[in-house]
Amino acid sequence: MNRRSLIARISALAAGALLPPEISQAAGQLAIGAALGVDWGLAFADLDADLAPQTLKRMSGKSPDGLNGALYRNGPAKFRRPGGNVGHWFDGDGLVRAFRLSGGEATLAARFVDTAKRRVDTAANAVVTPGFGTAARPGARVGHNDDTNAANINVVPVGGELWALWEAGSPIALDPSTLATKGVRTLRSDLAHMPFLAHPRLEPNGDIWSLGVMADKAVIWRVGRDGALVSADTVDLPAASYVHDFSATTRHLILVLQPLIADRPTLPYIDGFTWRPKEPTRILVLDKADLTERRIYELPAFFAFHFGDAWADKDGTIRFDACVSDNPLFATRNGREVIKGEWTPLPPPLLTLISLSPDGRAKIERTDVPAEFPRSDPALAGWPRGLTIHATGDGKGPLFHGLATYAWRTGKTDTFDFGPAHLVEEAVFVARQDGRGELDGWLVAPSVNLAAKATELHVFDAGHLADGPLCTWRADTALPVSLHGAFVAA
Amino acid sequence: MTHPWHQPKPRPKSIAAWPILAAVALGLWSPAHAADTSTPPQAGAAVLSVTFKGLKTLSGAILASLTASPAAYDGKAPPAGQATAAVTGETVTITFSGLKPGLYAIKAFHDLNGDGQLNTNPFGMPTEPYAFSNNARGMMGPAPWSAAAFEVKAGPNGQTIDID
Repeated sequence: MNRRSLIARISALAAGALLPPEISQAAGQLAIGAALGVDWGLAFADLDADLAPQTLKRMSGKSPDGLNGALYRNGPAKFRRPGGNVGHWFDGDGLVRAFRLSGGEATLAARFVDTAKRRVDTAANAVVTPGFGTAARPGARVGHNDDTNAANINVVPVGGELWALWEAGSPIALDPSTLATKGVRTLRSDLAHMPFLAHPRLEPNGDIWSLGVMADKAVIWRVGRDGALVSADTVDLPAASYVHDFSATTRHLILVLQPLIADRPTLPYIDGFTWRPKEPTRILVLDKADLTERRIYELPAFFAFHFGDAWADKDGTIRFDACVSDNPLFATRNGREVIKGEWTPLPPPLLTLISLSPDGRAKIERTDVPAEFPRSDPALAGWPRGLTIHATGDGKGPLFHGLATYAWRTGKTDTFDFGPAHLVEEAVFVARQDGRGELDGWLVAPSVNLAAKATELHVFDAGHLADGPLCTWRADTALPVSLHGAFVAA
Repeated sequence: MTHPWHQPKPRPKSIAAWPILAAVALGLWSPAHAADTSTPPQAGAAVLSVTFKGLKTLSGAILASLTASPAAYDGKAPPAGQATAAVTGETVTITFSGLKPGLYAIKAFHDLNGDGQLNTNPFGMPTEPYAFSNNARGMMGPAPWSAAAFEVKAGPNGQTIDID
C-alpha cells in the first residue's frame, strides 16, 4: 500500500476505526506527519547531480571553539531512473558528503562516487545493475563484484585518501578535498574484487581490520593506516551468515553469525538468504595474532546490522554493544518499501549488551532503549568504556528522530528528541583537544528537516544532549539521509 | 554449546567457488584440452578472424578457446581450437583456419601476468579480464552458449570481442 492510498483509506474509514492495530499506528504516524506538512519520502528522494560547495546558514547557537575539521558521510542518493528503479534503499548510488567546520562557519559539498555501476546505469537510463535488493535488468555488465559496487555505505580516512566502502567489493578511493573519485583500491593483485565490509574496526593509532564474507568463508583484512595491506587471510566460518558488521577488542576479532543464511546463490543478493530463527546466532572469536585460535559461542537467534567496538574485562570476558532486532525484516522488507514510499511499522532495534565469558558462556542483555547506529569515542576502540552513542526512535516510521547516550553502569539515558519533522542521522563523537573522560567532546550529526525540506547539521555537547544542540546550520536543499561516516579533525 | 578456547583448528581446504554476487564460475579455460588445432585445408573450409580490442594493459597474452558445441563450451569436450597471442597493442587478432562451417562460440581471457592461467581471487572470482564471443555476458557465471554462439560460414568470417 502506498502512502497516498493509505491516507485515502484512512480518510474514508474515519481515522482507522476499523483498521488492524499496526495500520492504525501507521495512520497515526502519517497523521502527525500530515499535520506538520512533512513527508518522510524526502529522505529517500533522488539527488540528480553533485552538490557544489555551499555555506550553510547558522540557524541557532554558536559553533564551539576548537571544533574544526570535516565530517565525511556516505549514503545512497540516486534510486530511480526512467527505465527502472532500485529495488532497495541500499542499492542507490553512493553520495559522499563533506560538512566542513572552520572558525564557526560550516560548508557542505557532496559528490557521487564514480562507480562502474553508476556509469552503466546512467548510460542505460535505468538501474540495470543488480545489487543487495535489486534484480538485474537487460544491459547489466557484471564481470565481477566491483561492477556492482555501489560504494554507498561508509567513508573512512585512510592514508591521505577517503575510502568509500560498500560490503561486497573493493574500497573506492576519493580525494578528500574535492571528493573526486580516484579509483578502485586493489590491496593486492590476487585479491582483486574481494569483498571488504563497510564497517572496518580501527585500532587507535594502529591498524585497520575488516572482513570480506562469501558464504562460509571470510577474508580477514589487516591494513595499515597508510592504506597498505599488512595481511589477508581466509578463515572458515561456522555458518554462511549475512554479515554487515563485526567487532573487535585490542586482541580479538568478533564475528556475529546470525541465522540469516546463504543457501542459494542468486540475485538480488538478499534473496539468496533464508531466516532460520530456530538456529542460533553464532559468535566466532578470533585471535588477531593467530587466526587459527578460535572460540565459538551460541545465543538464541537475533538479527543486528550494527555493533559497537568491543572490550575485554580483567577476567577476559569480552563485551560489546549491538542494536538487536528479533528478525531481519528491515533488510528483507522495509528497506525495499521505503523506495516506494511505503512503511510497515516495525519494532525498532534495541540497545543490547553481549558478553562472552572465557569459560564459553555467552550472555545477551537487551535494554528497552530503541537504538541504531551505535558509536563511541574512536580513541577508546577496543578498550573498556561505559557509554554508547546512538540514534533513537519508535519504529512507527522510517529511521530515527532522536540522539541519545546510554550509560551501561547506571542504565541512565541522555536523549534529545528532534520530533517527527526530523530524520536524524548517525552521530559521530569528536573529542575536545584536551578532553578527559568518555563524553568530553561533541556529537556532530546531520538531520533531514522534513518541514523545512533541508539538510541540517547539529553540534551537541556530548555530555548534555537533552539541553539540545549547541549550534545548528541549514543547507538550502535536502540531501537524502546518509548512513555512516567519520570526522577528520583539522 | 560451549567450547574451550582451544578448539580443533579447522583443516585447511581450498576455497570452493560459491557464486554469490557476480562470482564467475571457473572453466573459462581448460588447458587440459589444449591441442594441436590445425586441420588439413579442405574444400568449403572456413577461416575465422577474431579481433580482440580495447586492451588497456599491454602485457601478457590473449588466450582464446574456440568451441563448436555446448559440451565443448562447458569444458566437457575438446575445443575446436585454442590459440595464444601476445598483447603488444590495443588490438590483437587471432585466426582459426580450416574450420567446418557451423555454430561456434569463443571463451577468452587476458593473461596479464603470462602464467597461462585465468587467475582467480580466493573466492574463485577471476582477477584477469575475460570475454565471450558476441560480447555476450554472464550474470552468475560465464555467458551461456546460446548467447555466445555465432555462425561460421564457408570462406572468411570475422568476430570482434571487447576485452579488458
